[in-house]
Amino acid sequence: MTEYVIRRLLYGLLVVFLVTVFVFLALRLIPGDVVRLQLADAPGVTEEQVDRLAAELGLNQPLFTQLGTFLADAVRGDFGQSFQDGEQVTTLIGERLPITLQLGAMAVLFGVLAGIPLGVLSAVRRNSWLDQSLRLVSVAGISIPNFWLGLLMVTYLALLFTWSPPLVYQGPTEDLSSNLVHLALPALALGTSTMASIARMLRSSLLEVLHSNFIRTVRAKGASELRVIGKHAMRNSVVPVFSILGLQVGHILGGTVILESIFGIPGMGMLIFESVQMRDYPVVLGCVVVYGAVFVLINLIVDVCYGVIDPRIRYART
Amino acid sequence: MSAISNSATPEPLLEVRDLVKHFPITKGLLNRTVGKVHAVDGVTFRIGRGETLGLVGESGSGKSTVARLVLRLLDPTSGQIHFAGTELTRQRPAELKRLRRKLQIIFQDPFSACDPRMTIAQVVTEPLEAHRISTGKAARRTAAELLERVGLAASDLDKYPHQFSGGQAQRIGIARALTTEPELLVCDEAVSALDVSVQAQVLNLLRELQGELGLAYLFIAHDLNVVRYISDRICVMYLGQFVEHGPADELLAEPQHPYTRSLAAAIASADPHRPPRWDRIMARGEAPSPSAPPSGCRFHPRCPAAFEPCTNKFPVESTMGERTVSCHLHDAAEVLSHD
Amino acid sequence: MWPNAEHEQTVPLLRVADLRVEFDTARGTVEAVNDIGFEVSAEQTVAIVGESGSGKSVTALAVLQLLDGGRIANGQIVWDGQDLSAVDKSRMRGIRGEDIAMIFQDPMTSLDPLYSIGDQIVEAIRLHRKISKTEARDRAVELLGQVGIPDARTRLRAYPHELSGGQRQRVMIAIALACAPRLLIADEPTTALDVTIEAQVLELIRDLQRQYQMALVLVTHDMGVVAEMADWVVVCYAGQVVEQGPAGKLLTDPQHPYTEALLTAIPTPETDKSQPLGAIGGAVPALHEMPPGCRFQPRCRHAWQDCTQPPPVVRLDGGRSSRCWLRAPAPTESRRAEPEQELA
Repeated sequence: MTEYVIRRLLYGLLVVFLVTVFVFLALRLIPGDVVRLQLADAPGVTEEQVDRLAAELGLNQPLFTQLGTFLADAVRGDFGQSFQDGEQVTTLIGERLPITLQLGAMAVLFGVLAGIPLGVLSAVRRNSWLDQSLRLVSVAGISIPNFWLGLLMVTYLALLFTWSPPLVYQGPTEDLSSNLVHLALPALALGTSTMASIARMLRSSLLEVLHSNFIRTVRAKGASELRVIGKHAMRNSVVPVFSILGLQVGHILGGTVILESIFGIPGMGMLIFESVQMRDYPVVLGCVVVYGAVFVLINLIVDVCYGVIDPRIRYART
Repeated sequence: MSAISNSATPEPLLEVRDLVKHFPITKGLLNRTVGKVHAVDGVTFRIGRGETLGLVGESGSGKSTVARLVLRLLDPTSGQIHFAGTELTRQRPAELKRLRRKLQIIFQDPFSACDPRMTIAQVVTEPLEAHRISTGKAARRTAAELLERVGLAASDLDKYPHQFSGGQAQRIGIARALTTEPELLVCDEAVSALDVSVQAQVLNLLRELQGELGLAYLFIAHDLNVVRYISDRICVMYLGQFVEHGPADELLAEPQHPYTRSLAAAIASADPHRPPRWDRIMARGEAPSPSAPPSGCRFHPRCPAAFEPCTNKFPVESTMGERTVSCHLHDAAEVLSHD
Repeated sequence: MWPNAEHEQTVPLLRVADLRVEFDTARGTVEAVNDIGFEVSAEQTVAIVGESGSGKSVTALAVLQLLDGGRIANGQIVWDGQDLSAVDKSRMRGIRGEDIAMIFQDPMTSLDPLYSIGDQIVEAIRLHRKISKTEARDRAVELLGQVGIPDARTRLRAYPHELSGGQRQRVMIAIALACAPRLLIADEPTTALDVTIEAQVLELIRDLQRQYQMALVLVTHDMGVVAEMADWVVVCYAGQVVEQGPAGKLLTDPQHPYTEALLTAIPTPETDKSQPLGAIGGAVPALHEMPPGCRFQPRCRHAWQDCTQPPPVVRLDGGRSSRCWLRAPAPTESRRAEPEQELA
């Protein structure tokens, strides 16, 4: 098992490295130039000034030299400074990451807590009107983009109840209720597709498991339906749900970029959004690498969980 | 181990020599090989034209691997397979394909390899087209003739696999195999899943076809009664090796190897006056994994007659007329009789 | 109705009568079981024999109401004087495992892959017995020993995938015996096993049946297994009982053409290889296209004009019965008027 985790960690590092290189190069291909954007407001900018700023930011060197410098620094934990205000990227991320992690965790929690009961209900009451309508909700939940759902929430709550999210973000230690209220709606919007995917996957895998021979054995022992489902069927259906969850984390992380901006939450998503607009390469790069690492780590945890749930997987890995 | 029939013609249809197939077991970071499954471990046999060789053994004995090796669906680790005078293991793909026409297989589930949306016409004519024997109307005509030959109707051509019962499906499987006019038909547990009433029909059909077309069969099954009924000779396989070989009736009437004796004793009988199987001589326990075959005679841990040499010495094969057996009991008997 | 003379005096442990089981399919409602009835007395072994589609497994599952998607449309399943088709779910759960236990055909998939075999045996015990986990584990060790699994205490921690097919079926038997039931239903318990293992497992079932003083309902397609195990044989074809009687007599002197044909279709070591096997032509009819009259008639060598009418269940000597016009007494006219006749 340890060997398996180490192997997976090494693969993960490789993935993060490749993501870094790819994003670094892709950023430079985006039209628009950070130097000119920064100097845009100043009248009568000379080419000399432009070159000087470019040299200051290290942008006059060949692309691969820049990449090499960045990677060498990044290994030492230094992601450079923001082009905007010279702030250390790591400091910026340090301030913002907890907010996004809280939002992401709330979204996952909502997705799991709502998705599992819906999936079970759908499977147990198969083909009833309840199942039919739940399946409809699932399809809708998967197809509707989360930012649109977020916009819809803000707009209609403002129109119908004249309610809008708080203007100023407050951390959970400052004012917990304001914080939770603020994050609740974007978490809902982010978690909806997770909920829908889990409900759908759980329904189909539960239905398959409920018709399997070992479930018949459990029933033949005299177990109640609650025990049949709760102890045996659920555990056997949960592995595909876990893999969905791993993939959904990527979905949720991506969603924070727009949803944090819509709801005015100063997390990593909003930082990325602003930095992309300003072509603040070091910040964007730092954030994307952190997102990549979070995604890889979560999926590693998910994979390890398979082994905890299923002794056959555990056995195959030793 | 050899199982060469003395009565075989100078050039048998199929001759297999020292066939070995090991599957590697890999593990760890670098997928290093940590062991191997001895699926087939040195088997030798011949099948003459128009002859039926039965291959019996329990699960894990390697009998299905032998079938796949003979058809070159698997590459052997070592050994030779001569079919109609050609060495199959050294053929290029194109030549192999040409030879495969004469070498067909029927499986336990004839439709497992077919798309359920194919019509029976498509299922049966597929080999004709794959081997460029005939296409279109000509292929369809051949298919219709073959369906009628195996006891179905030409009108079944436009039906779909799910419309047929198990016995009919196996007839379609046989028709499909016959399209390329094979000389050897490998039957891998072909009747094992069928109900007894239908199993008898398919066995009768196979016998009729053999009489008419001069087919040879390599008939693989775990039911000794069925194998005895259809086979001229039988090879008994245990953990990748042949333990006994001989003419079907003799082998069953007087099994020499303790494993064959156990198999023969394990045949259930519908005669209520016969004592139950468990009161006869039986192999103990279960077969070990072919990834870790026992030392010496592979059957010794289960053998009721095992003695000292069995645990460490590989038994040599002794021949008595048309029969061969690999067992230390027979070494001893021979040594004694020669003394 | 299937009374049998031998057990008329004693109240049977289990009586199945006029059972009909229906399934809803895309082609409409089909009857997997049309008319099956038999009795099982204490410590008796009853074999239900038939080919696929005979309804034998469905009948076995119906007794414990484990039908997946099917329903009992008619008939009674009387256990110890109580009609199981009328009891509520919680009473049924109390009977499953406690009074009637069941083992299945495919040991490879019949155990939960995610729990150790110890957990699964302990569960079976504690569902019906209010005892501590430690006590239940001791009982599980004892059970594993009884079913012939060596080194029982350490094997408790093994998972199903670590065991061979034969060992898994032994574990299934241990689970079935957990609460010392009075009836064990075994649905093709050895079909998936190798022949040498089959004999070992059958012997085990036989020994434990005596030790636990259980009745046994053995569902099988194998006449050899029947000959070794059964006291009483119920032959099913296309959802109906076609013949039943004591094993010794039924196997040596079958009273229904189907039973007779089934016995001659099996090759034996004595079968003449130069002759074709005594095959039964055609195939078992599909559930949605049952022939009218006798269901075996399209495949029967003795079929005659009367066979297009539903045959009577004819009672014969020794509690035997046969659903066949050949066994019905003449004349034909009265037979049609009164389909249930007795042969004196």
